[in-house]
Amino acid sequence: MTNTSHEVAKGPHHASDAAPSALSAHSIVKRFPGVLANDSVDFDVLPGEVHTLLGENGAGKSTLAAMLCGLYQPDSGHISRNGERITLSSPRAGLHHGIAMVHQHFRLVERFTVAENVILGSRDLSYKLNRSELEDKVAAVAESYGLPIEPGATVGDLSVGQRQRVEIVKALYQGAEILLLDEPTAVLVPAEVEKLFENVHAMTQAGKSIVFISHKLGEVVEISDRVTVLRNGRVTGHVSGRGAADTKELARLMVGRDIELTTQRASHATGHEVLQIRDLSLSLNGVSVLSDISFNVHAGEMVGIAGVAGNGQRELADTIAGLMSPSSGSVAISGSMTTDRGPIHARELGLAYVPEDRLGMGLVPSMSILDNLLLTRDRHIVVDRTSVRPEATRLIEQFEIKANGPDHVARKLSGGNAQKVLLARELSGGRSATKLLVVCSPTRGLDVGAIETVRALLDDARSAGQAILLISEDLDEVMSLSDRILVLYRGSIVHETPGATAQLSTVGAAMAGLTTEGNS
Amino acid sequence: MRSPIRIVFEQRSETPKYLSALVPLLSVVAALVVGALFLLATGYSPVETYSNMLSDGFTSSRGITDTLGLSTVLICTGISAAFAFQMNLYNIGGEGQLYLGMIAGAWAGLALGDRLPSYLMVPAVLFVGALAGALWILLPAFVRSRMGTSEIVTTLLLTYIAASLVKHFVYSPGSFFVTKNSAFPQGRLVPDSASLTGINGTSLYPTFFLVILIALALFWIVKRTEYGYRIQVISDSPRAAHYAGINANRTTLSVMLISGALSGLGGAVLIVGPFGRLDPGIILLGYGYAGIVIAALARNNFSAIIVSGILFAGLRSGGDKLQISTDTPIHIGVMLQGAILLFALGGEAFRRYHVHAVRTERAAQ
Amino acid sequence: MNSNIWVLASADSVAIATTLILAALGALFTERAGVLNLGIEGILLTSAITSFLTADASGSIWLGLIVGSLVGALLASIHALLSVVLRANQIVAGLALVIFGTGLANFLGKPAEGKTVSTIIRPLSFGPLSDIPLIGPVVFQQDIITYASIVIAILSSLYLFRSRPGLELRATGDDPATVDAQGLSVASIRIRYTLFGGLLVGLGGSWLMLAQSAAWHQAATTNGVGWIALALVVFAGWRPMRLIFGAILFGFTLQLPFTLQAEQITFIPSALMQMLPYLATLIALIALSRPSTRNKLGAPKSLGIPFVRDER
Repeated sequence: MTNTSHEVAKGPHHASDAAPSALSAHSIVKRFPGVLANDSVDFDVLPGEVHTLLGENGAGKSTLAAMLCGLYQPDSGHISRNGERITLSSPRAGLHHGIAMVHQHFRLVERFTVAENVILGSRDLSYKLNRSELEDKVAAVAESYGLPIEPGATVGDLSVGQRQRVEIVKALYQGAEILLLDEPTAVLVPAEVEKLFENVHAMTQAGKSIVFISHKLGEVVEISDRVTVLRNGRVTGHVSGRGAADTKELARLMVGRDIELTTQRASHATGHEVLQIRDLSLSLNGVSVLSDISFNVHAGEMVGIAGVAGNGQRELADTIAGLMSPSSGSVAISGSMTTDRGPIHARELGLAYVPEDRLGMGLVPSMSILDNLLLTRDRHIVVDRTSVRPEATRLIEQFEIKANGPDHVARKLSGGNAQKVLLARELSGGRSATKLLVVCSPTRGLDVGAIETVRALLDDARSAGQAILLISEDLDEVMSLSDRILVLYRGSIVHETPGATAQLSTVGAAMAGLTTEGNS
Repeated sequence: MRSPIRIVFEQRSETPKYLSALVPLLSVVAALVVGALFLLATGYSPVETYSNMLSDGFTSSRGITDTLGLSTVLICTGISAAFAFQMNLYNIGGEGQLYLGMIAGAWAGLALGDRLPSYLMVPAVLFVGALAGALWILLPAFVRSRMGTSEIVTTLLLTYIAASLVKHFVYSPGSFFVTKNSAFPQGRLVPDSASLTGINGTSLYPTFFLVILIALALFWIVKRTEYGYRIQVISDSPRAAHYAGINANRTTLSVMLISGALSGLGGAVLIVGPFGRLDPGIILLGYGYAGIVIAALARNNFSAIIVSGILFAGLRSGGDKLQISTDTPIHIGVMLQGAILLFALGGEAFRRYHVHAVRTERAAQ
Repeated sequence: MNSNIWVLASADSVAIATTLILAALGALFTERAGVLNLGIEGILLTSAITSFLTADASGSIWLGLIVGSLVGALLASIHALLSVVLRANQIVAGLALVIFGTGLANFLGKPAEGKTVSTIIRPLSFGPLSDIPLIGPVVFQQDIITYASIVIAILSSLYLFRSRPGLELRATGDDPATVDAQGLSVASIRIRYTLFGGLLVGLGGSWLMLAQSAAWHQAATTNGVGWIALALVVFAGWRPMRLIFGAILFGFTLQLPFTLQAEQITFIPSALMQMLPYLATLIALIALSRPSTRNKLGAPKSLGIPFVRDER
């Protein structure tokens, strides 16, 4: 009842010439105001195949995927299904043709149960809903692909990996033959990635086509039958054959030049303790978020906190910054307690804080760069903008921020430039000279050029003797930058290792809560 | 096969300046057209009605002073609404705060009687009125800033309660506010020391200039001071305010209290000015609700409120007199207010977005 | 004390609850779709006067009810246009609708000032059942719209929680982006339920006029019932069944001033007595917003927020 078409029981056909493409795009062009997102892009996927779209942020891969599932319509070019030209005017039309997208940000109603989420929007649903009957049906579909889910559970209570599984079951329930997975591993721990890849194999075995969207070279090489590389909206290369791809070559196609993202780790002789955290615990609404955390960060040292999103990182940063009061334990900056004394006091002691949420927390979107620079500084009763203006102009120049000047509104900055404004403000010191810098996910969503700049800025700050706490969900970033790595899991520090000798497998296992296990 | 047409909203990166003035003006015109249709349908002459309304409000010198006189209270309620609205606090109970300002202003005038000279008495009445307005919003402001209770319905419910209070103070036997042994219940006039005289015997009182001054001062405060900076940060992004150590609860509370005080001041202005007594007729005039429209039309800009307040007073002062001069119902004025606001809101979309229709290509399947 | 009066008071509470149930259900459907329509009071008034004028001119109460309801949907369509299509500020749009509706109703009502309807909606009689003490007047002496309003509330509950469109409606209010990704049109769902909501509010306003008031006296006809209905939706946690009980409770406070006056209980001045329903609503709203209770209420998460598909 759920698989509307039974034509696909052919098994996997890897790149065989005879089989028609399950889905193909021809000379697709898509323009957004000021951006040519897709410039004459060709792409196709065969039944039973994993075809990866590889590219950095802003390369146009999500835009292409959005057109393949009917979310956007191309300005020119067309899309074919099994060799026949089709028009996808909406995601519903996409589903009608058996195409479904699993979004990076899950499209799930948190208050609904798993079953309710799976059936939402289904075409073959009766008017009257029978809860238990539907739950049985959903469970049956999930099991037939080896995807265990609990249909009666509320989605809001599920882990990220489980939610992703719900999304996939939902696509299968609706009869999807082609699944577009948009950056599916971005939110998963290594163990969950393994599980996802098993599921992907199970689906291709059953004849489904998978379009895998990613910018992570390692996993792309592991999972893909074919790879298409996009850069600046254009196709820059194809590689076929599982495991045949060369990581270096793919990186060059993706970025357009040879690139070395591993920064040299400066082995500074570290100075005195700038940040001291003792037995820090935090509970919110009776739920323990942080428990018994103790560590120090020294002047000239960068300590990285690794962990999967939602394990207490944001709360830890906010507590250090004085935005939350711990339930017990203490935070001290340069030997002075900051506990319960608010963010302004912490800043007077030399704290600078780059939050994960740039536009909305770190920056006020509707305000100018100038006004945003004033946000964490001492302002007089009558705000004195004229005396800050020259400094704003200087910072825009120094940090190479692309803006029309100090009056440029923050909302209209690109992600990378907004991050630079934030760093410019926090690094230039406000209420006192910066001694401790807390940065969260500093390069998320930035393109490669901006990533390099931001990392160089952090490196400079470290060399200048600032203590840096780097909190990031990007494990590669933490591994390559930190002098010392701490792993946060369910609000506790479960692993500590020097950055230079850190093993990906051990840190990854710790992130998944498997503290003793480390596989090759 | 016809290709379907889709309406596309494209966010403008830069809003043309002329649109900011054009949208409110066109809204007024469009509302007048709609009003004309209703007038025609019900057998009135739109030309006659409107010319009565406008010529009264803007052409004769008497009309102009009437307009400016009436605008005094409307600018008060307008800046009251705008001061809260700019921080996304929807104090829609300005009407009730105005009643309280009137009650308290009348009380101060009557209780202090002739004991104080005029130069102390008039400020005292205005101050007590503003204070009462602030007190009337204290509960909604407190629960909003502490528990996040939406202020929309709470401030409005208090307007109904305030209206009952006004009626109680006028109609209950032996009330302090009414003339003893009068044939029908009527508010007692405050003593001369508590009332101003119109400039050159017109209905324009010196309070007009006070209110203009307050509006300009608020304009400056919001644009230039730390307090204004905080308001901007909180209204745009409460999380950024938290991040920067700005106490949003305290600012929320103070903004709402000031908003209430401004409406209360509007009520007290009526006591030292044209009314001179607690008059239950205020309940039918809706000056507080008009303030919401005036603020929205001026897009919460305090200097623009002076203009939209005077414009509205022109429509109103004519409208209020229509009842007498022609057979037109007074309510056409209120209806026009609502229509103007509806059109202004619709027009806002065209100010923010570039709206255009496109034909979508739909290939045969 | 005349116990009969108190029986009538209870019966009146149920009766007055009719408008509250219908208006609050209208608001509930609208808000479940994620649209906040504060214009209920304006819609009630306009529907009341148009139903009055129609019934007066045609002599048919039923035609009055139909026209009044349609006018409710028509006014709601203005709100739908502004807030869904043109993405205007929904709070201000709702207020504009109140001001416009009040002015329009008073303008149209000028010739009808003080007039009464020739025939009103009469209570049904269930023979001996209606004569049972206490239960008879309260349960078996109501009119057909009162019974209908309770049936509509029950059906609404089933629709919302046990049907496919109900599932889609709840999802739209909570997470419109998800509904959009399913290929359902958020705009169309929001417009439909805003109009349907207006229809129910319009029916409530018409009934208030034709069964309860029977004479037009300007804004005093509704006297803030629309605002109480909005508070009632919060009180009921956006659930139709709870709304029935809440409406009867609020209905009680609404008729209490009249009952006390009839009983000649005058230790509280009557003007102050009039405050009671608003005061009770205010207290209920504030009591409900204690953080512990608020989380359980379950307001639709996207309430009042225009939906814009995230196109870079």
